[in-house]
Amino acid sequence: MTKNIEALVKQLKDQSYKKYRTKTTSEPILYPVDVFGFHIGNNEKKHSLGGNVIPSYKRIISKGFDEIRREIEFSISKATEQSKIEYGKKMLEKMVECIRICDEYREKVKSNSRLYNALQRVPHKSATTFFEACLFMKICIYFLRTANTEHICLGRFDQYMYPYFINDKNRGVSDEELFETLEAFFVSLNYDGDLYPGIQLGDNGQSMVLGGFDECGNSMYNQLTDMCMDASLELNLIDPKINLRVGKNTPKEVYIKATKLTKQGLGFPQYCNDDVVVPGLIKLGYDAKDAVDYGVAACWEYIPSGCGADIPNMSVMNFPLVVNKVITEKLCNCDSFATFMGCVEKAIAKECDRIVESCCDFQHPEQPLLSMFTDGCIETLTDMWRGAKYKNYGCHGTGIANATDALTAVKQCIFDKKTVSVSQLLEALENNFEGFSDLRSSLRNCSKMGNNDEIADDIATQIMACFSKNMNNKPNGNGGIWRAGTGSAMEYILSAAKCPATADGRKAFEPYSSSFSPSLDVKASGLLSIIQSFTKYDMTEIINGGPLTLEIHDSVLKNDIGIEKTAMLVKLFIDMGGHQLQLNSINRERLLDAQKHPEKHPNLIVRVWGWSGYFNELDKEYQNHIIRRCEYLN
Amino acid sequence: MQGLIFSIEEFSVYDGPGIRTTVFLKGCPLRCSWCHNPEGQSYNKEIVRSPNGCINCNNCINVADIVDGKTVFTDDGIKNCPMGLLRYSGENISSEQLCEKLLKNQNMLQSGGVTFSGGEPLAQSDFLLDCLTKLKGKIHTAIQTSGYCDTQTFKKVVGMADYFLFDLKLADDRLHRKYTGVSNAVILNNFSFLASSGREFVVRIPLIPTVTDSDENICGIVNLLKQSGVNYVELLPYNQMAGAKYKMLCREYRPDFDERVAVKVPERILRKNNVAFKIL
Repeated sequence: MTKNIEALVKQLKDQSYKKYRTKTTSEPILYPVDVFGFHIGNNEKKHSLGGNVIPSYKRIISKGFDEIRREIEFSISKATEQSKIEYGKKMLEKMVECIRICDEYREKVKSNSRLYNALQRVPHKSATTFFEACLFMKICIYFLRTANTEHICLGRFDQYMYPYFINDKNRGVSDEELFETLEAFFVSLNYDGDLYPGIQLGDNGQSMVLGGFDECGNSMYNQLTDMCMDASLELNLIDPKINLRVGKNTPKEVYIKATKLTKQGLGFPQYCNDDVVVPGLIKLGYDAKDAVDYGVAACWEYIPSGCGADIPNMSVMNFPLVVNKVITEKLCNCDSFATFMGCVEKAIAKECDRIVESCCDFQHPEQPLLSMFTDGCIETLTDMWRGAKYKNYGCHGTGIANATDALTAVKQCIFDKKTVSVSQLLEALENNFEGFSDLRSSLRNCSKMGNNDEIADDIATQIMACFSKNMNNKPNGNGGIWRAGTGSAMEYILSAAKCPATADGRKAFEPYSSSFSPSLDVKASGLLSIIQSFTKYDMTEIINGGPLTLEIHDSVLKNDIGIEKTAMLVKLFIDMGGHQLQLNSINRERLLDAQKHPEKHPNLIVRVWGWSGYFNELDKEYQNHIIRRCEYLN
Repeated sequence: MQGLIFSIEEFSVYDGPGIRTTVFLKGCPLRCSWCHNPEGQSYNKEIVRSPNGCINCNNCINVADIVDGKTVFTDDGIKNCPMGLLRYSGENISSEQLCEKLLKNQNMLQSGGVTFSGGEPLAQSDFLLDCLTKLKGKIHTAIQTSGYCDTQTFKKVVGMADYFLFDLKLADDRLHRKYTGVSNAVILNNFSFLASSGREFVVRIPLIPTVTDSDENICGIVNLLKQSGVNYVELLPYNQMAGAKYKMLCREYRPDFDERVAVKVPERILRKNNVAFKIL
């Protein structure tokens, strides 16, 4: 780390990061703070107009705003429909304003010659150097953020920035200088954390996707990829959040480097398996070239880069609630478990139909600025939500493990062992297990998802297959289709808060497990069994996103032996067909202490669902969930 | 054949090469003053109480037995605990069941295998040998041992297992008796047998402040290593968390040494004698 960067990080950390990030100004626009010149400086939390997309930074940075402006003008001149001309004018107006603000800003930073010179070129024209490209990125991010978007993701940074990087190298710029620029850019992403319209602090969508393979299977892991990993490792800051694309041909060294990053305790990298994701997206109708260029939205939703207006968080399948309804309404009439599962499958199918129906009229408000960053929208003068190449909707499948455990308990207690009668179960559920503690412990002692147990895992496969079959590729009424997934986002708390007691022994309104993970409180046999259970289903069929989350005690990562073995474990997960993995280094005692004495742990960072945040800044229910989900480590 | 185990730990990273699962067998003939796994000492099932989440309602204590002045939890205690913190430590399991369970993850254990630890796994040697026979040819097996066991049995186990993690604690017999409760004569005998057997193994030295980390002891151990042609050891520095599990058994941790003294890592002596080492 150079002295420059060290000073920046120190400034960020010293000034009580929170205070620093809330620093506001009456000046509405760009003003100098760091080497990239500015931060957002606007304390108003605005209503979001949507986001969760990866803008086409590649196109914008390689063209420059002047060229984009000419393209809009050209499209307007060719257009015949009045509505398109009107929309084109809105785009043009935004672009002209962006250019004006940048010019105004450039004049304010005359004293900083490096910045001033770079601003003579970008954003008017294409970037030529890595520094200019990073500055251009900051400018894009700034404008997109102030345009009321949320979760604007960084996408495949190591790919679209590589031409500038390699160009600098060819001109003789040293690796050290390039690394310093990169680190300064990373630091700059950590300002203004509280100004994002996320659910919790830290949920800002600044996900970066690194590595991966091209259509021919060649590795795209390049020197810039490696530098990004090193920068993240050295800076130890929560942004950008690293997602690493891997596959069966990823070498062990890459996993080892990534595991060192896990050791930092920031809750990333998150791993995405190209061998599963790419074929999965192709099955959903994505062109192969777009499928191999996938990235993630804010957390883990798989979306294409630059050409999509997918809404991967459109809706939620609340699995435990569906299962509960079937238990209450149908179980007493079922003479076998197979009949009962038949009813469950019908209910899942019906819920899929209801979800599709309920979203068919959805419309995002217009986004002229973000649309300029979406491929194809300038040519057609169409808003991205209607004009982008991909307009698919995603449906999270939340509480898969809880629903599976509930169904397994019904199978084992009601049908196989007959230790519990239907009426007893219904009464116990209705009373939230008050006065039914023995019955509750029988339910809790049944087979569970996450223990490599065939009975539970087959049931999980059955409900996921039913979900995939009834959700995937259904038209969404907006020119796109639906995609089933395994994520939960905040729904492991919100959906669970709508769900009464469930047959797995979970009490009313208690949270589900986050995304695709064993239920809380399940005494899992261990990490190997969990991985076995969560790689059994063909994950290409359920690829909207949603990771298996594993907590590893930080003592495992204390030396090279533990790091190497953890890297081997991740590789096993990928080789076995897991689609997405989030690995957290965690120490339960430390979390408990931080809850009691927050002042002693100001910099404790934890992974929440698809993003990392400061433990102290989370609401208590999220803190408790994180503490509970590492219980299988004891 | 039945054995008594107290835990199966998947992905145990410090118990041998590769990705492994470790089985902990209950019961140990040694009473090391620094033992961090008191659950492993008794050959019987015991009831233990998890310290996390205890609301100090004393429902378990009120129905506990007092044996020789010590608190022993009862079945009623398990039932009475509103937080569900009491459980049995120790599970009777047949070698068939255990091996079936271990082999379920065979596909993930290709780079490593299964380790038998304890307690002292050699203390249930018949059960251990039965398991090793059943796993032979299917999965790599390792034994983590104090080496304390009659030589006939030890030889049989060396014939069956693929890898050994062998503890050398104290070279001096008098000190060995003092701090572990047993003589090291049979251990050293078994060690020379292992070293000459051609079987793969690694030596581990627990570094206990003022006890095993003294220059005299390390020199003594280095001599033993030299006699057997060993030039690599793994060091396990004492961790002040060692006493954490005693409370679960209503026991007090009272080591015969001052645990606050910093551990001395014997880098100089090992380097001088060309013994490579790794600190775990």
